[in-house]
Order: sequence, then structure tokens, then C-alpha cells
Amino acid sequence: MKNLKLLAGILVFGSLWGFSECIIGSGLSEFGLPTGAIMTGFFAITFLVISRMTYRQPGMQLGMGLVAGALRLFNPFVGCHLCSALAIMAEGAIFEVIWYKISLDLTEIKPLTMQISMGIISAYFVYIGGYIITQIFTPIVSGSGFFIENLITFMPNILSSGLLSALIGAFVLPVILLTKKIDLRLKDRLYYPTTIGISVFCWLFVVGNWFLLS
Amino acid sequence: MNMGKEKIIPIIAMVVLIIGIISTIYVHASQIEKDTIKINGQDFTIDQLFSIGVTNEIETDEGEKEGIALDKLMVAVGVGCTDCHKYTIKAKDGYQQTLDWDILKTGILTDYGRVYFPDTAHTFWVRDVIEIEVK
Repeated sequence: MKNLKLLAGILVFGSLWGFSECIIGSGLSEFGLPTGAIMTGFFAITFLVISRMTYRQPGMQLGMGLVAGALRLFNPFVGCHLCSALAIMAEGAIFEVIWYKISLDLTEIKPLTMQISMGIISAYFVYIGGYIITQIFTPIVSGSGFFIENLITFMPNILSSGLLSALIGAFVLPVILLTKKIDLRLKDRLYYPTTIGISVFCWLFVVGNWFLLS
Repeated sequence: MNMGKEKIIPIIAMVVLIIGIISTIYVHASQIEKDTIKINGQDFTIDQLFSIGVTNEIETDEGEKEGIALDKLMVAVGVGCTDCHKYTIKAKDGYQQTLDWDILKTGILTDYGRVYFPDTAHTFWVRDVIEIEVK
């Protein structure tokens, strides 16, 4: 029963993450905003930290990355869905690595300095990690092959572009931790209908949006 | 143990910010401003490339894009045995991607210096192109 509850949690948070990447991310990029940094610094960190705080289950964020990446991958109307899907999946895994040594009750990050620091570290490494993974795997999957000199030459830009994400993360993480005082738990009889309902909505909206636009 | 984390995590965060700031300064300082595009060792303006190339339209997932066909352009600038080479497309910000002929021949170069390919990830859509190196 507990595993089923966790699975539903992975599905709903992963779907919300994927939904925001596909719908909000696509909207932001049309305005010429630095979509990647905003999506990671704000949306990814929000969903990853809230789920960590609520479920206290290592491995969950990896699963969320797979769900969100799958939604991005199967979303037919976005460009570069392969790169984005790989980046999102990697982001979930990188978050798990960063938070591996942080206790599940988040005792260590009670001081504000620690919260800001974890926000910076998480957002920065999740963002640049996803970026690097994309730069390595997309050429490989696309069949052109990976050339290390292409990545090395562009590395300063990748390290630089993570700065905005880090600054957003520094602000977002302490704000999310404030919500710890709000009881986000649902009554058992509402849990499954709500989580499954939100997940189905996210998937239908993302895929259905393409049919409306085309 | 926790005391250690309380010290090391803020230090790592500071290092991250310093790396980000230094990289940003470096990136802005090392931008290459050029009005020409070097292809196979020769410099061309966009106008010159459009005068020797053949205009083509391709359909991408971001709509139709128009520019000069890269396959004909490579022949026009004197690349022999086009499918024997790999092609590294370089941007002014240091971004670069290396492609096989099979992909390159499907692409176009626009009058605003961006390459597009119809069936590839956007990773290959290099913008502000300053060089196409033939390897």
C-alpha cells in the first residue's frame, strides 16, 4: 500500500514537472527568456524539494525525472524533445546524488544560510548536469557521434548559464521549506483520485495541446 | 557530522557562485565578433555566400526556414568528396557541433547566420555561425 502511494506520488509530481516543462517552458521560450535556467531553478527545484519533503523517500526524484522526461519525450509538438527528455531524466538523478547525504527530515538545512546554499548547489548542478548530459547524449543518439572538443570549448558557457539557475534556486528553496508548516497530506480516500486525476490531466493536456495547435 | 555539513555546504555554494561569475566574465570577454563566415579555410560575407549558393526552403518543427542549401554551398566553396569529411559548425560564443555529411547535406544557412536541419535535435541548430570547418 505504501509503495502504491509512493508510485502515485512519483506519477503526479513527475507529470506536473513534465507539464510545466512542456507547456510553461515552451511559452517562456517564445518570449526569449532563459527557459532552461528558469525551468530548473524554479519548477524543477520546487517539485523535487516538495516531493522530498513530503514523501521522505530517496529514489523518488529519480522516478519523477523519468516520468517528466517521458512526458517531454512523448509530447509530439515540442522541438528537441530528445534533448529535453534526456536532460530532465538526468536532472532527477543528479538531484538524488546531491541530496543523498541530507537527512530525510531535513534537519541540517534548518538555518537560512544552509537553505540558500542548498538552493544554489542543487539548482546549479542539476541545471549544468542536465545541460552536459544533453550535449553528450544527443549527438550520440542522433547518430553524429560525440566529440569531446565540442563540449570542452562550450564548457565556460555552460558553467556561466547555470548562474541564473543557482540564484533562482537560492530564493526558491527557502520559500519551499516555509511550506513545510502547511499540511500537504491528503485524506486516504482522496489521495488516489487526486493524484491520478492530476496526472491524467497533465498528460492529456500536453498531448491534446498539440492537436489543438496543429 | 552535521557540523561538517554546516561548514562545507555554504563553502561549496560560494565556490559555485564564483565559478558562475568568472565563467560569465570569461564568456563575455571571449565573444568573437566577425562579419564573415569561414568555410573550408576561406572567409565569406553572408551576401557572398548567398550569391554563390542556392536558396532552399526546409520544413522544421518550428515551421519553414529559408536559406542557402549547405550541400550545394560546400561544393561551391570547393570541398571535394563531400561525404568523406566531417563538418564542425562553430558559433561566435564558442558553441560548436560536428556533423556527418548525411546530416549536413539536409541543412540550410540563413541570412542571419543560423543553420537549420529538418530532422535533427535543435542541438545542431547552431546560431551566429562564424565558421564551418571541414575535417
